[in-house]
Amino acid sequence: MSAVPAPRPAQSRLGAGVGLRARHYRDFLESRPSAGWVEVHSENYFGEGGYDRHVLARVRADYPLSLHGVGLGLGSAAGLDDRHLAKLERLVRATEPVLVSEHLCWGAGLDGHLNDLLPLAYTTEALALLAGRVARVQERLGRRILVENLSTYLEFAASEMGEGEFIAELARRTGCGVLLDVNNLYVNQANQGTDALATMRAIPVDAVEEIHLAGHLVTEHCLIDTHGDRVADAVWRLYDAALERFGPVPTLIEWDTDIPELDVLLDEAARARARMEVRHARAA
Amino acid sequence: MPALLELQRALGAAITDAGRTAAAAPLFRNAAHAVPARLAVYRGNVYGNRANALGGAYPVVRKIVGAEFFDATAREFARTHRSASADLNEYGERFAEFLAAFEHTRDLPYLPDVARMEWLAHRAYFAADAAPFDPARLAAVPPERWAGLRPLLAPACALLVSDWPLARVWTVHQDDYRGPLDVDLSAGPERILVHRPRWKAEVRAITAGDHRFLAAVQSGATLGDALAGALAEEAGFDAAAALARWVASGVVIDLADAEEAEEWAG
Repeated sequence: MSAVPAPRPAQSRLGAGVGLRARHYRDFLESRPSAGWVEVHSENYFGEGGYDRHVLARVRADYPLSLHGVGLGLGSAAGLDDRHLAKLERLVRATEPVLVSEHLCWGAGLDGHLNDLLPLAYTTEALALLAGRVARVQERLGRRILVENLSTYLEFAASEMGEGEFIAELARRTGCGVLLDVNNLYVNQANQGTDALATMRAIPVDAVEEIHLAGHLVTEHCLIDTHGDRVADAVWRLYDAALERFGPVPTLIEWDTDIPELDVLLDEAARARARMEVRHARAA
Repeated sequence: MPALLELQRALGAAITDAGRTAAAAPLFRNAAHAVPARLAVYRGNVYGNRANALGGAYPVVRKIVGAEFFDATAREFARTHRSASADLNEYGERFAEFLAAFEHTRDLPYLPDVARMEWLAHRAYFAADAAPFDPARLAAVPPERWAGLRPLLAPACALLVSDWPLARVWTVHQDDYRGPLDVDLSAGPERILVHRPRWKAEVRAITAGDHRFLAAVQSGATLGDALAGALAEEAGFDAAAALARWVASGVVIDLADAEEAEEWAG
């Protein structure tokens, strides 16, 4: 591969971050753990006040913050929840995050919310819907957002293109960035037989502004994206390939089930940082 | 080719109703024999996410019935109650009603009211922060106008009347509580106030007079009317002491001057 893309100036120094979860509030309030940045699930801070918002404001004073939404469901054909979007807008304006991201998924039907990240059919109809939605969200928030590739257990036969092609076109139409979840690429490769490297190659080099790394669970039927373990060796190798293609993109360690001591997350973040530095040194 | 809405509706139906699995299978590229287990992963996520949200909102109910029983009950609620919000912190408001009708908890008749109390505490946890009352606000108003002031409750405050000793139930089930665990369930009806002095929601039993006063304030009454109501409810109600107490504990956070408001509006 030839030229390494120049990272966007605002984010190039972020390095490796960790997800901020309630279990680690005390660690962040009492010391200053060596994370480059932190990311939270936006919905956990939708309250008008209270302890979570208090902690977030304190941590935000010390670290760059990324807001990562898990509820908006950009691709819900039944409609986008305007009340949810209004709460996200309020949180974005209050915390001025360095990054804001949502998933390439749907979650709401005509009779309510399923509260999960459900797969899209990658059709021209879906692309038009998503492009309109992303544009609407970006306009409402007054900023670009990143859209994250999804881990899936089922894939619609109606899909007319691959996820990478879909995301690339979405980014082209809306100017949104991409949050590349490398573990999700690996999970889909195992579950759907998609080619993780091919998906990466379909995504424009300058679109990726954040990378997610997490652990998954191997079951009899499929890989499950639990965010409940260390990053698997095969995912680290894919991460190296992602760094090769996209440059030293800010990288987050996600951990959401069976959350261990913060040191374990920081150790994973240090491993990511070391890989970014090796890659960076070679490029220089 | 089915439209996106139809595809999503079919997937949603197959997730929430295992009986629709076979009908949905042709919609996916995955081998037909793999589809049931994959749908089951989504089903587990959807109901598991909802059940986890209930566990977070109802920790006292969970302690009373035990984790294993609670989780099974929460899954049953999740299977039968749709979610109206993309934010799971808003899921589970009707859990008290569900428990009231749930045959397996009939021997715990106080449980629905415990759940009602916990939902108020859950909402209080996320409520807006409140600045403490500024005494200068009162000093700026001539005493002859005080009766016309409208007290304002902190956003986290909520009231509940129950046949059960909820404040005691709340206290003995807090993680940091170390005292005796006895609860006298025959103690008689109780009025409680849920509020959040700083970050943690608290529950306390209040007198009939205090309840009448705070309920009136909550519905927008003037200070004069709220105090008159409390006096009628509870002979010997000490209005000055009550007001001082609610102000000091951050329950009453302001005394809005109606005339001042009119002047502003004018």
